[in-house]
Amino acid sequence: MTYFVRKGLFYLVALWAAVTLNFFIPRLMPGTPVDSLMAKLAQRGGQVNPETRRAFELLLGADTDEPLLAQYWSYLGNTLRGEFGVSVSSYPTPVAEVISASLPWTVVLVGIATLLSFLLGVTLGMVVGWRRGTWLDSLIPATTVLAAVPYFWLALILSAVFAGTLGWFPLNGGYDVVLDPGWSLEFIGSAVYHGILPALTIVISSVGGWLLGMRNMMVSTGSEDYVLTAQAKGLRGSRVMLRYAARNAVLPSVAGFAISLGFVVSGSIITEQVFSYPGIGSKLLQAVQNNDYALMQGIFLIITVAVLGANLVVDLLYGLIDPRTRS
Amino acid sequence: MTNLLPRWSARLGVGLGLVGLITLFGLLGPLLVGDPNAIRDIGLTPPGGGHLLGTTQTGQDVFAQLAYATRGSLEIGVLVGVMATLLSAVFGVIGAYVGGFTDEAFSLLSNVMLVIPGLPLVIVIAGFVPPESRGTWTIALVLALTGWAASARVLRAQTLSLRNRDYVAAAKVAGERPWRIVAVEIAPNLLPLLASQFVFAVILAILNEAGLAFLGLGTSNSSTLGTMLYYAQNGFALQRDAWWWLVPPGLLIALLGCGLALINFSIDEIIDPKLRNRARRRDTVAAPAPTVDDRDPDRVLTVRDLEVVYRVERPVHAVKGVSLTLRRGEILGLAGESGCGKTTLAYAINRLHRPPAEVTAGSVVFHDRDGTDIDVLALGPGELRAFRWDKLSMVFQGAMNSLNPVTTVRAQLDDVLTTHRPGMSAAERRERCQEVLRLVGVDPARLGSYAHELSGGMRQRVMIAAALLLEPQVMIMDEPTTALDVVVQRGILRELLRFRDELGFAVVFITHDLPLLLELADRIAVMKDGEIVEYDTAERVHRDPRHPYTRTLLASFPSLTGDRRDYAREGAR
Repeated sequence: MTYFVRKGLFYLVALWAAVTLNFFIPRLMPGTPVDSLMAKLAQRGGQVNPETRRAFELLLGADTDEPLLAQYWSYLGNTLRGEFGVSVSSYPTPVAEVISASLPWTVVLVGIATLLSFLLGVTLGMVVGWRRGTWLDSLIPATTVLAAVPYFWLALILSAVFAGTLGWFPLNGGYDVVLDPGWSLEFIGSAVYHGILPALTIVISSVGGWLLGMRNMMVSTGSEDYVLTAQAKGLRGSRVMLRYAARNAVLPSVAGFAISLGFVVSGSIITEQVFSYPGIGSKLLQAVQNNDYALMQGIFLIITVAVLGANLVVDLLYGLIDPRTRS
Repeated sequence: MTNLLPRWSARLGVGLGLVGLITLFGLLGPLLVGDPNAIRDIGLTPPGGGHLLGTTQTGQDVFAQLAYATRGSLEIGVLVGVMATLLSAVFGVIGAYVGGFTDEAFSLLSNVMLVIPGLPLVIVIAGFVPPESRGTWTIALVLALTGWAASARVLRAQTLSLRNRDYVAAAKVAGERPWRIVAVEIAPNLLPLLASQFVFAVILAILNEAGLAFLGLGTSNSSTLGTMLYYAQNGFALQRDAWWWLVPPGLLIALLGCGLALINFSIDEIIDPKLRNRARRRDTVAAPAPTVDDRDPDRVLTVRDLEVVYRVERPVHAVKGVSLTLRRGEILGLAGESGCGKTTLAYAINRLHRPPAEVTAGSVVFHDRDGTDIDVLALGPGELRAFRWDKLSMVFQGAMNSLNPVTTVRAQLDDVLTTHRPGMSAAERRERCQEVLRLVGVDPARLGSYAHELSGGMRQRVMIAAALLLEPQVMIMDEPTTALDVVVQRGILRELLRFRDELGFAVVFITHDLPLLLELADRIAVMKDGEIVEYDTAERVHRDPRHPYTRTLLASFPSLTGDRRDYAREGAR
């Protein structure tokens, strides 16, 4: 089995596991979420048609005579079609629509911030690990402090200082509300301006992890024979560092991307809450606070799919940068 | 077995200090402060007076709340730490030890758990649990169930490597029971790793719980630092500039996490000793090159009174006053047992030694073909780079690992030429690379191969080809054929002799195999404890060894005379 097929299969299994987890969690929990959803819906003047009820029941489970397997099967079908029912907290918008409206915000914010943080952390880690025994070593404890700071607290402090006291950035939101969302230059500029502080939070709190991992690997590869050989060849120090040491040291960081991405996504959900960012994290919270179970489930699934997708891409990339996986 | 206690360092001290103080505060604080929930109608008051850290908007004492919250956070952290570590040990260690299907299944499970984002899952689960049943144990259980996978993967990898070590195999052969092997042979070696994973799990749990609590999904029956932040945020502490309400809980989490991480650094250093801080590289003291008295016009390299010291706690004098002269086209054999300093000497000649090794005295002079003398120890960084490989190339002891695993053979031959011969065109470089490969008997099509696609013998030939690229005047070969089988070894050595004759470079050939040198070398130096004890022509070393150590070395191999000579080469390994 080749590397790529194996990875593809693994992510299929992971996806199946996530979907199945999503099916069983509400069924294992106490309470009858469907009834409370229907009650809420009725409260808001929503028409409780059998179709909506059916969608909720498949998602959350109910005391029906239908065998579990049949429920599971129909649930899989609904999931594949993206039918997660209607959101109660944003009635009458369907869950799928709420998600697709908020997802791009998070994908862009978290995507760019993660990429920046990865590049910055790996580059710094490379230099710190290579120049071991110099003043650069003192950077390491600083990164530990950063990594230990809770995301949301850092976000609070940053927004207090930069948005509150100094007034350099907007306090919250994803764009200036007087503008109409669209592809106008003004709107994009406003979105970027609003995104800087949340992105900064994500970068500051996640860069330490990348830095430390890369630094430790640089220390290990520094004593490999091929690095010694490269030095004996009389190559420039920068070339030995980049092409011989770092090129090998970065592999575990890329392979471990999966673990770190989970952390970053988790942290950014809370960060969105602090900045009232119109992304999927805020929506997830809104769903939890309003017992909007359908939306909750839908969002969990989408986040998982997005994270799995990103990991798959990184793993495929890994296959390209490490020739040993291809044999 | 490695030392299981972390070495004392400032980092460890600060870490233990932070964690100790915060733990004490969490344990004893609640006994000393008043009721954290007592409501006073003084509203939000800044620190000072009767309230060390001020009060919340309902007049509750922040310091009292902080003490209770610290206790709550620590409780959750330790609970989750224990549960998650147990889970990861079960799935990681047992899976890897049992192997087979169990291992496959456990490993798949932990990998799947690893890629499913944890916090969203926790949020969803917590969202379904009604607030009244969201106690400390429930939250801890949810955090443990979603947080064990990364550790399991690390533990599995370590167990797999331990399982294959000799002493575990020995225990199996001796008929020890599996649980005993796990408990006695494997577990103690996993302890540092388990400890580090535990500490990591605690940090993560405290951070995650704080996040959950901040979202209003924390424990309902106890207060934690996260719940404090939740109330501070919802009481608009930020907007009302009530920093004393918002800053201390977050800072406490950060300090606790930082202290735990610092402790983890020290534990990591037990697991991987390479990570220990090493001494700074000191500049080599370049003694002025002494006037070389022997005026041998044929010499190419003169090493005089070279001293190399490893500056560790008890300095090790690895090379003691070594003097050698290498003539053009000569093969000088350097023999001695492991640890006698022969590799250190070889590295020092090319200044490849790394801290804590340091050249403390002596000189290395290279006599170039055009008549100039190069004082190698006095070369500046740029000059040293230009000198290396161009005048003196090396083939290493670990030649099996001398090729960069992630780039092609072509790239690794080519960069020598781009660095040292910037004037060459791409076509000329390709031509030259193919030429040297042909010379060592490797198909030039192999230029596009990676190291893992080559056999051991081929890798070694590629390294020799690389060493030939610039037609150096000296080649240092450190145990170049030790890892190869006898037939391949023979072939390579025969070719080495041929190249020497054709290309006229001199070789310093380092090996523990004295009989091999008797056949190959022109002159032989025998090293013992950093000193050269015997230095003469191969002929005379064989016939009339002067030092008793040489005689021991010679006697430890079967007789080299007569018909049994072949036995010595092929049967002795």
